[in-house]
Amino acid sequence: MPRRRIGVFVCHCGNNIGGVVRVPEVVEYARRLPNVVYAEGSLYACSEEGLSSIREKITAYGLNRVVVASCTPRTHETLFRNACEEAGLNRYLFEFVNIREHCSWIHMRAPDQATEKAKSLIKMGVAKSYHLEPQEELESEVYPEALVIGAGVTGMTAALNLAHQGLKVHLVEREKELGGLLSEVNKLFPTHRDAKEILDPLVEGVKNHSLVTIYLGSEVEGVEGFIGNFKVRITKVEEEIKVGTIIVATGARELKPIGQYGYPAMANVLTQLELEERLKEGVDEWQSVVMINCVGARGADRSYCGRFCCHTAMKNAILIKEGNPAAKIYILHQDVMASGVEAERYYRGAMELGVRFIRYDPTNPPQILGERQAEEIKVYHALIGREVILPAQLVVLTTPLVPQADNERLSKMLKVPLGSEGFFLEAHLKLRPVEFATDGVYLCGSARHPSDIRESVSQAYAASAKAAIPMREGVVRVEAITAFSQERLCNGCGNCLLVCPFGAVELKDCERGAQVAWVSVAQCKGCGCCVAACPNGAMQQRGFSDQQLMIMIEALAEGVSSGLR
Amino acid sequence: MVSDKEPTILVFACNWCSYAGADLAGVSRLEMPPHCRVVRVMCSARVRPEFVIAALSRGLDGVVILGCHPGDCHYSEGNHYTRRRALLLKELLEHVGIEPERFQLRWISASEGAKFAQTITEITGEIEALDRRREPPPEG
Amino acid sequence: MEQELREIVRKLLEEGAIEYFIGYAEGVEPLHTTPCFIERGEQVQALVWSPLCPYNLARYLHQMKDGAGKVGLVVKGCDARAIVELVKGNQIQRERVVVVGIPCQGQVDLAKLEDAFEGVEAVEGKGDTFLVTVGEKVHSVEKERLLREKCFSCRHPISFEYDFVLGEMSPLVYGSESEFAAVEELERLPVEERRAFWRAQFERCIRCYACRDICYACYCQECIFESKAPRWLEKTTTPLDNQTYHLIRAWHMVGRCIDCGECERVCPVGIPLRRLYKKVEKEVEQLFDYQAGMRVEEVPPLVSFQIDDLVIEESS
Repeated sequence: MPRRRIGVFVCHCGNNIGGVVRVPEVVEYARRLPNVVYAEGSLYACSEEGLSSIREKITAYGLNRVVVASCTPRTHETLFRNACEEAGLNRYLFEFVNIREHCSWIHMRAPDQATEKAKSLIKMGVAKSYHLEPQEELESEVYPEALVIGAGVTGMTAALNLAHQGLKVHLVEREKELGGLLSEVNKLFPTHRDAKEILDPLVEGVKNHSLVTIYLGSEVEGVEGFIGNFKVRITKVEEEIKVGTIIVATGARELKPIGQYGYPAMANVLTQLELEERLKEGVDEWQSVVMINCVGARGADRSYCGRFCCHTAMKNAILIKEGNPAAKIYILHQDVMASGVEAERYYRGAMELGVRFIRYDPTNPPQILGERQAEEIKVYHALIGREVILPAQLVVLTTPLVPQADNERLSKMLKVPLGSEGFFLEAHLKLRPVEFATDGVYLCGSARHPSDIRESVSQAYAASAKAAIPMREGVVRVEAITAFSQERLCNGCGNCLLVCPFGAVELKDCERGAQVAWVSVAQCKGCGCCVAACPNGAMQQRGFSDQQLMIMIEALAEGVSSGLR
Repeated sequence: MVSDKEPTILVFACNWCSYAGADLAGVSRLEMPPHCRVVRVMCSARVRPEFVIAALSRGLDGVVILGCHPGDCHYSEGNHYTRRRALLLKELLEHVGIEPERFQLRWISASEGAKFAQTITEITGEIEALDRRREPPPEG
Repeated sequence: MEQELREIVRKLLEEGAIEYFIGYAEGVEPLHTTPCFIERGEQVQALVWSPLCPYNLARYLHQMKDGAGKVGLVVKGCDARAIVELVKGNQIQRERVVVVGIPCQGQVDLAKLEDAFEGVEAVEGKGDTFLVTVGEKVHSVEKERLLREKCFSCRHPISFEYDFVLGEMSPLVYGSESEFAAVEELERLPVEERRAFWRAQFERCIRCYACRDICYACYCQECIFESKAPRWLEKTTTPLDNQTYHLIRAWHMVGRCIDCGECERVCPVGIPLRRLYKKVEKEVEQLFDYQAGMRVEEVPPLVSFQIDDLVIEESS
């Protein structure tokens, strides 16, 4: 076996790692590990400088294995693999060691131990890298059609963006009409233009575009397959639809705060969206309106802020005030979220119009006074320090958007995660905001977190742009972490075949006449279940073989002098 | 290096859920004891019991498998096999006198950074308590 | 019964229905039989049957993979479970095996026999007793006194088609004690004592691998313990390596051990291996309602699951 020449690059990540872990000490330690011929510290290994250095050193030192110790492979593995490939080293001869999320960031108060842990993790990574083998990626075709789930402003924008690029789109909408939440909205913040001005062109656009097929009153029933080759079952559609990518644009729904503030028993207590419906018919002659913000948000049951419902409240307050200047309008809030010049100006405008903003404390919320309907609101005015009673002919509850009820069902179907609040969870908050960790599935709009139109549309453009990439390229490379069976060792017992969730294993005749396992690389998703089920290790997984994982365990156990457990 | 007084705990974390959850714990700067070492696998089902047996026999103080919640496995069924294997393995290990706290299976989703931190802290504590109770280990 | 068996085998061989027959023959030493391979009709006189035929002859079906023809063998009811498992594991095709079922009424534990008597020449089963011949005398001994431990939990497959039977194949029904009593005794010990018990046992292991070599279920092309990448074990007999060996072996017995007891019988240092594997057997039965070798259609526990399998997550 040619001698291993392992290079180790330890990242400071500015202060993120370097501020806790003593990187120079760790570099020295790495330098002395078996088969390491080069080690260096790097300020930001992912920067152009850092990557250049890796490429240079591969050439200069004849490195045939590279280990980078920095952040998480879930973000930068591809980046470093690319760098290796650019320097002529097979991209699978690279090993990533996480000494930030799994070390410096969680042991900030224990720098000595964090340093020792970093050394230990690098020792394990170097040991594994020794046993990495070069791999070739299989190319898999991408079917150039997309599925967009949800036809609100987000879904329609994404669908049109794809159709304009010449890609066929299947647009599925649960309701009988296109439009989503926007169809319930009256006028828009901050222009006060009609929502229809945005909605109608979109609806016309998708209806008239030859490449968009719309399925109204339909839901996605089942999804199988993988990027480039998804098979989708839609209700009311007989045949399976084949698509290359899927965009989740299922949006969210307004929280209906049942049981709070007399809702829905009292006829004059509405939510903001219900108010929008009323306002479409014209502003009523309400003499007094009290809006209560943050209902069901920023509290015990739901910790997040709805992000733009303050805008909605102010907008509706202004519309009512403009329609009826004598009306007394109050907005009871915990904070007014009006960030940015435009929103601040709008807020000021509302105040100048005479809308009264009263801050309340969540520990002392407003109370509805009235028998069969709301008549007055009692609230402790936090700034002036006493209780006030406000006339309330109309009470409007400002609630946040909450996840759709069937998010869980859809998440299981698509094999994508939900976040802690029940919205869909993107691959990475900053670096991969409009896609899922699962390849080929993308995310935009309020399905991800409450988003206003601006954000939803931007994300729809972003998600559709990302989805277009594999469809335009026509092929996608399948990561070479698939399983393979070693004929010589295989008993043909069939355990692997039985446990494979994807039916990727078959038993075939081999040279010595026996039946042995065989893995279809195109169907193998690289879970490794078959390897664990194989009695003698005939079945292995590229990049996660028994040898590679066991060597990490041995590297870790070395020096644990306590012996037998 | 690892001393006799501090435990060394091997943690297998699956790429899609528990490894991401561990990353989130990092992003959230949640402090926890520094004795665990995470090994990334694509699915908890990759973890073969022989790893656990070998690790514990070689003197590691504990082995933890972290996976996706049942029903949420990225590979749809992997964690169901993990669950069965872990159930049986635990019984076997306990039968030869390896305390049940030394091998644990927990479900951590990608958004459960806090649960990851809590799990690591809890398990580390349990194993430290065991190590304190044990007599000095035999030679060899 | 011996005569009947010989006739059946002679016919099978003379008709060319099988290439060879695996059976029991007289061993070199008294009271020891040995597995034998009969290829020609005239050799059938060597075949014997007595309560001193412990071998699980299904073990020798492993070599069928390398051949093409049919093979015949005689099995006790318990050993037929091995055949069921070998079929499940794709190691043999049922059609290639001619199975002669012999109604066993219990096997004698040699150690118990030698403890009770000296100079035993022969043993025969008769009803509820064993007839032990010592010189001129024939002692009639209560079966339970000399029976192999494992015979107390005699179990036959639920559905098995023998090609020939030499009588009614029905399991012994014995003993009021739970078959897992020895395991349960260990379970009741505090964990440190259990650890000390097994450590003392494993310390005596010389890693001769006899337990693995005699086991019907150990049919891997290359045993995991021979692997060089990774090397799960070194060649040494340290407590570390011995524990690793026995635990991995026990793990590989999950859902496959039929308690034929051969491993324990052949262990040169007398490690009570059944107390280890029966623990696994007990858990598989209690957790997954599964017993090895009962029905060919049953799916083994580790390659299947139920949605509502017990969760151990929050338990320690």
